Amino acid sequence: MINITSESVVEVDNLSLEFLSSAGNLMALKGVSLNIKKGEIVGIVGESGSGKSVTAMNLLQLLPKTKINIPTGSISVLKRNVAEMTEEQLQVLRGAEIAMIFQEPMTALNPVLRVKDQINDILLRHKKISQNEAEEVSIGLLRDMKISDPQRVYESFPHELSGGMRQRVMIAMAFSCSPKLIVADEPTTALDVTVQAQILSLLKERAKKTETSVLLITHDLAVVAQLCDRVYVMYKGEFVEEGETRQVIGSASHPYTKALLNSLPEGKKPKSRLATIEDSLSNNSEELKINNKIISSTNKHKTILEIINGSIEYPKDYNVFGSPISFHKAVDQVTLTLEEGKTFALVGESGCGKTSLANSIVGLNQLSSGEIRYKGRNIKEQTPEVRREIQIVFQDPQSSLDPRWPVWKIMTEPLTVKQNPTSKELRIKASELCEMVGLESQFIDRLPHEFSGGQRQRIAIGRALSVRPKLLVLDEPTSALDVSVQAQILNLLLDLQDEFNLSYFFISHDVAVVKHISDMVAVMYQSKVVEMGEAIEVLTAPKHEYTKTLMSSVPTLDTE
Amino acid sequence: MSNLKIPALAGLLGDFGSKNFNWNKIRQVANPEIIVAFTLFTILMFIAIFGQFIQTHDPMQGDLLKRFTPPGSEGYLLGSDHLGRDLWSRMVDGLQWSMACAMTANLLNLFIGSTLGLLAAEKPGMLRIVINQLVYTLQSFPGLVILICVVVVVGQGFMTLVMTLGLLSWVVYMRVVYAEASSLFQREYVQAARLAGVSRWSIMFGHVLPGVRASLFVIFAFHFAGLLIAESALSFLGLGAPLGVPTWGNMLAESRQYMIRAPWMLIVPAGAIVTAVVTMNLVGDGIASLSRKKGRSIDV
Repeated sequence: MINITSESVVEVDNLSLEFLSSAGNLMALKGVSLNIKKGEIVGIVGESGSGKSVTAMNLLQLLPKTKINIPTGSISVLKRNVAEMTEEQLQVLRGAEIAMIFQEPMTALNPVLRVKDQINDILLRHKKISQNEAEEVSIGLLRDMKISDPQRVYESFPHELSGGMRQRVMIAMAFSCSPKLIVADEPTTALDVTVQAQILSLLKERAKKTETSVLLITHDLAVVAQLCDRVYVMYKGEFVEEGETRQVIGSASHPYTKALLNSLPEGKKPKSRLATIEDSLSNNSEELKINNKIISSTNKHKTILEIINGSIEYPKDYNVFGSPISFHKAVDQVTLTLEEGKTFALVGESGCGKTSLANSIVGLNQLSSGEIRYKGRNIKEQTPEVRREIQIVFQDPQSSLDPRWPVWKIMTEPLTVKQNPTSKELRIKASELCEMVGLESQFIDRLPHEFSGGQRQRIAIGRALSVRPKLLVLDEPTSALDVSVQAQILNLLLDLQDEFNLSYFFISHDVAVVKHISDMVAVMYQSKVVEMGEAIEVLTAPKHEYTKTLMSSVPTLDTE
Repeated sequence: MSNLKIPALAGLLGDFGSKNFNWNKIRQVANPEIIVAFTLFTILMFIAIFGQFIQTHDPMQGDLLKRFTPPGSEGYLLGSDHLGRDLWSRMVDGLQWSMACAMTANLLNLFIGSTLGLLAAEKPGMLRIVINQLVYTLQSFPGLVILICVVVVVGQGFMTLVMTLGLLSWVVYMRVVYAEASSLFQREYVQAARLAGVSRWSIMFGHVLPGVRASLFVIFAFHFAGLLIAESALSFLGLGAPLGVPTWGNMLAESRQYMIRAPWMLIVPAGAIVTAVVTMNLVGDGIASLSRKKGRSIDV
């Protein structure tokens, strides 16, 4: 570790911030003080809505001035008070002294410009160099990002690059003017875990080498543990805890930080209930102990679903008559067995064919060869009533609920099939479902956008439960949610499994979640299942090369 | 596209005059353009509905002694024409004819266009290909030319005109519904409904049609303006309304010979057409901007 000089890059002192709106003002930050020294990597960790992004945006004065009010506090960046700077001065500051890395590199890069134009643009604007020199510098930067063929990347359009490669380009752009500070807003959230590990180590290495300070904003404590020297824990617009990363994670003192750590599935007993923020904050440790009993799933080993040599192909190229001539194999000869009342997890990175396989189970697409057997019969021969026993919960509850329908109508829609229940009956049923999934039943007249992400996912689960399914296909049900909400949803899923003897086909890229919830696990890599077996076995003693890489890439709370 | 809250606006306007009426709420959703548009629209609808009570003369009855009376004199609000008929009363009649014609044809267009659009959008297959080919065929002819050809064959009259316009100009509805519904059919909530076994009709009318509703309102207004022009143009050419029926197109055609002597004969129907068309376009813009504002929080 290099020496951190005491020179401060950012000093925020007792900053409060209000959003003004006609519906009433909203206090987003309450007396926040932040200090980043030269060459230091500082993390702000918190849930969505806690104010961490607002803090960062305000450093760069990116919030619309007419919509906010700052009652107290000052921000100085590089010993200058940003509140007093003109827009021109700020522009120089933003490009040359402070750079930003965004969460989603595809939207942060201009899709119609080549990488070279985008990097050169920044260099030419902030440095007095010629076009040719800019090209040299750019390619050098890309090489520094450990891109093996910088020339190709340099000439490419963003859509021709993978997500990880795009994020490397973003980081190269951020480092291009040797800034003093880089603000990274969830830089790896959109990436696969193996790529995330590479990007994090790259970011850390470059920052230490160039003595650049980094302000990392994330919801993931494990990422902080891997990357940051110091961490601020943010909760409801306040820093509730700050300090050396190791110290904060190792011996958290504030109840919220403890709660956040407790809600992580990592290191907990599989299938045990996770402590939610509410549990921990209300200090119901007594009750928690009772809740923490291991929920045992029934030991009936009855096969409910089998996939035998299942393959899925998508047409890739077409001839002039519009018939496909070559195919892309999304799923290649997959065979797996799912037992009743158990959770079968499918792990793999994006694009490996997990979702294609899940969709074919529920019938949203067809296998091109092989067969799926449900309760011992080919699923195509089962009656629609039996097929309805398989339901799906999608990743993003925002897009899986009709934004124009009230909750009671959404949850009971499956019940209206071939029957004509009155809306009164449906509302009663919806209230029951609400209770089942832990929502307050007085909210059934609201529209989906009036709920939080976790509540919306509960609604989606409620809808799936309305037809009394036997098998739930869960397509990344928690990856769009905060960790603490994730804990609640995982608890709910475990409770429901226990109560209704449900089987889960659980798709995830999050190894910690999979380890926590599943009995069996299959690891999928490039359309094939490369390893399969008991969850604990596969995830603790992986045999296949890819599984090993996957396991070692998962960021852990271990700060060493 | 976004969700439109017409009832919300109607609710706001409905409170007018009562204690609950909230100018601030109106100001939030309505800019001046919207207020002008809806005021003009209300006036037009008022004239169209209560025309009989505000006409000053019999629109068909002429007084040859009072030919070419300039506007505002001798009891003629907008002057009289070459046969001494009251232009105001004739204009009101023309408005009723145009509105009725455009409204009926528009509803027919809306029905045909959105049905075909929904059916084509639902899934790839023969139906989609056939409907799309039909649309391409219709689009490859200039609209007015095909209308003229058909009207020449089937003859004049209100019903023939309405049916011709109604059966031949639904393409815009089909294209928009097709485009938006295609994306809505791919939404996860539609897939979830399908998996639950919900029938295709329930999906169409429960999930997809409400999703395109906002756009339908907007096209309805713009298309209305287009139909007003088409109707007037056909009448002007002597192909729409039977001769002698006081429509704007006919009035315009009659005014040509007296353009210099009695320019108001030209200005009245022309002004009426322009006002009606501009109003409908403003209404369309207004609905579009309202739906953007209201929809932001619900946008998907």
